[in-house]
Amino acid sequence: MTAYLVTILVIVAIATLVGLALNFQWGCAGLVNFGVAGFVALGAYATALLTPVVGWFAAMLAAAALSALLSVFLALLSIRLADDYLAIVTLGFGEAVRLVLLNEGWLTGGALGIAGIPRPFASLIAPEHADFALLGFAVALVGIVYIILEALVRSPFGRVLRALRDDPVVAASLAKPVLILRIKAFAVGGAVMGLAGAMHAFYMTYIDPSQFTAITTSYAFMAVIAGGRGSNTGLMIGAGTIMLLLEGTRFLKDLIPALDGAQIAALRLGGVGVGIVLLLLLRPQGLLREPQRKAASLLADPERADAADPSLPASHPQEI
Amino acid sequence: MALPILNRRHLVAGLGLAPFAIRSVEGAAAQGAEIPLGFVIPFTGATGPYGPDMKKAADLATKTINDAGGILGGRKLKLFIEDEETSATASVTATRKLLEVDRVEMVGGFWGSPPALAAKPLIVGANKVQMVSAAAPAITEGDTKNLVYRFQAKSTQWGPAGAKILKDLGVKKVAVLAQQNPFIVAMVEPFKAEMAKRDGTVTDVVMYNPDQASYRAEVQKAFGPEPEAVFVLALLTDMVAIAKEIYRGGFRSKVLALGTGADADGAFLKSVSPEVAEGIHHLQPAPPLNSISYKKFVKSMGAPDGTVFLFAGNMYDQVCVTALAMEHAKSTEALVWAKSIRAVCNPPGDEADDIAVALERVRLGHDINYIGAGATCDFNDQGDQLNRSFLHQVIEGGKNRIIDVVS
Repeated sequence: MTAYLVTILVIVAIATLVGLALNFQWGCAGLVNFGVAGFVALGAYATALLTPVVGWFAAMLAAAALSALLSVFLALLSIRLADDYLAIVTLGFGEAVRLVLLNEGWLTGGALGIAGIPRPFASLIAPEHADFALLGFAVALVGIVYIILEALVRSPFGRVLRALRDDPVVAASLAKPVLILRIKAFAVGGAVMGLAGAMHAFYMTYIDPSQFTAITTSYAFMAVIAGGRGSNTGLMIGAGTIMLLLEGTRFLKDLIPALDGAQIAALRLGGVGVGIVLLLLLRPQGLLREPQRKAASLLADPERADAADPSLPASHPQEI
Repeated sequence: MALPILNRRHLVAGLGLAPFAIRSVEGAAAQGAEIPLGFVIPFTGATGPYGPDMKKAADLATKTINDAGGILGGRKLKLFIEDEETSATASVTATRKLLEVDRVEMVGGFWGSPPALAAKPLIVGANKVQMVSAAAPAITEGDTKNLVYRFQAKSTQWGPAGAKILKDLGVKKVAVLAQQNPFIVAMVEPFKAEMAKRDGTVTDVVMYNPDQASYRAEVQKAFGPEPEAVFVLALLTDMVAIAKEIYRGGFRSKVLALGTGADADGAFLKSVSPEVAEGIHHLQPAPPLNSISYKKFVKSMGAPDGTVFLFAGNMYDQVCVTALAMEHAKSTEALVWAKSIRAVCNPPGDEADDIAVALERVRLGHDINYIGAGATCDFNDQGDQLNRSFLHQVIEGGKNRIIDVVS
């Protein structure tokens, strides 16, 4: 039982890293990234290929750097494109990465993937405690990333990103370098996705292209939407909830013997979809709302503050 | 105003309660004398269509054994089946759940090679038995502690069988159209080598990526130069699309396909019209078609006489071999009964193809040689099945007709 919970927690930690990255790019800076799976895959493959050569720490750094570099490249590509087109470019990028990994067998092992990826501290820890150690490592990594991203979001950099998300024209007219800021935001998110990929490679110890498909991207978006766009704390709860729903529903068929495997498999995935729809209907702002310091707290005039903030849903003006 | 349906406090309370729900399941599973067996079978994703029959066959074997009085003095088998989701990540969480929560003695199933490869270190690490129906050679390589068994022909055996069949069909020049996937990739080189040995030429190898919206370009490239035949290495969903594309394009080259695509336990013929399927040759590892117990198996599965089951038969055998080995070893401890697998499966010994009879003989201390529903079930030192012969069939008038058995 413990090892099963450890597995789920490691997977939640990886999903949380991916979610935090997307939450920074999309939630905070408003840059839609449908190529999440591609960046995670890059991180995982870079780690798998480099760990035996340069050690795990340097490999992780390289994974983050590679993923960030390609993020910069992609953000630059979209320089002449309107915002929505970034989404299409990233979608194409994610697919392109998967196809390169699948077909460049000399480097990536092709469809067979890479097996036997060494884990950090493998020589120091007894095999039976390896998963625990990795969980500790993953949780520490999530903690560090959370603190850094939270600090970034609260910094002037984070504020200007939010301004840019809400209205880039206004930001530009105030002499904010819109493109540079977007590139930076995209690169930070990309680096974190690379780290998530590294954790994935360390945990699975076997990777192949089929592990990085659109479903990885979908889970990240689900976590951000469920947790509340812009809120890092909400995201952690969101990612945990999604994984709990996915894994928890495994136990339904043990409790309700009338349902057979095929039915439960279809119901599970359908149920998660229904859950997301219900959540969006009942709590469109997500589980937690983006923390904002509103003009209201400074002016003590709630009515004017509400009018000044059209992004708030009208029926829930004050709750957090 | 806050809506009362789902707030943070409710959520936290729910999360807090979840472990107790899981605990109660675990408690229930640990009680009683039932022997838990785990299976990871695809129900969703690209390989989802194979799952329901695999589950049906595993259930059938379990019911037959339990109705005949169970094993080890009346203990019944209990199956726990999880969804492979056509994904290595899902296979890892599913396997962990089976090992840790349901405390199974073996994890079987495994249609796909990546899910099997990803789950292997967990199962071997827990000293339990892994039984797979996947073909990638890497699964049984490395240190398996003698705990990994393949109920399937290896990819490297499929390729040469294809070359032999093409030779029988009088084909000298052939193009290959193959999906980029670990099971299939490992077939291509052995196929080319066997063709060369038989003075044949492989004119072109066209690889394609799975899950494409259309395979028109690839079909055009492989069939366009009009080779005598094209060896189409595809799985069910892409084979359906490719067959339609070949028909639409009016190509005349002979088609030899894999049974995993152009039969798939009968699913292919249900997915395309007879004109599209007409004349497609296909090969797959042959079940012991003439044994009485195989005929009984087909009948119990509710399929028409002569249906060739591949994956379903393998599932049936995984349950039966597990039961026989446990009975032989008088133990449910995986490290102990795994050693009995070859004793009950390989010659010498009386051939036994009925599981109830076979169990009875093992109980009486007789030497037996189990003949399964998917294969004769003989294993080499690595855990790979021996003597897998291949069945060559052709589709005529919307039906499969057996041409030959190639070994």
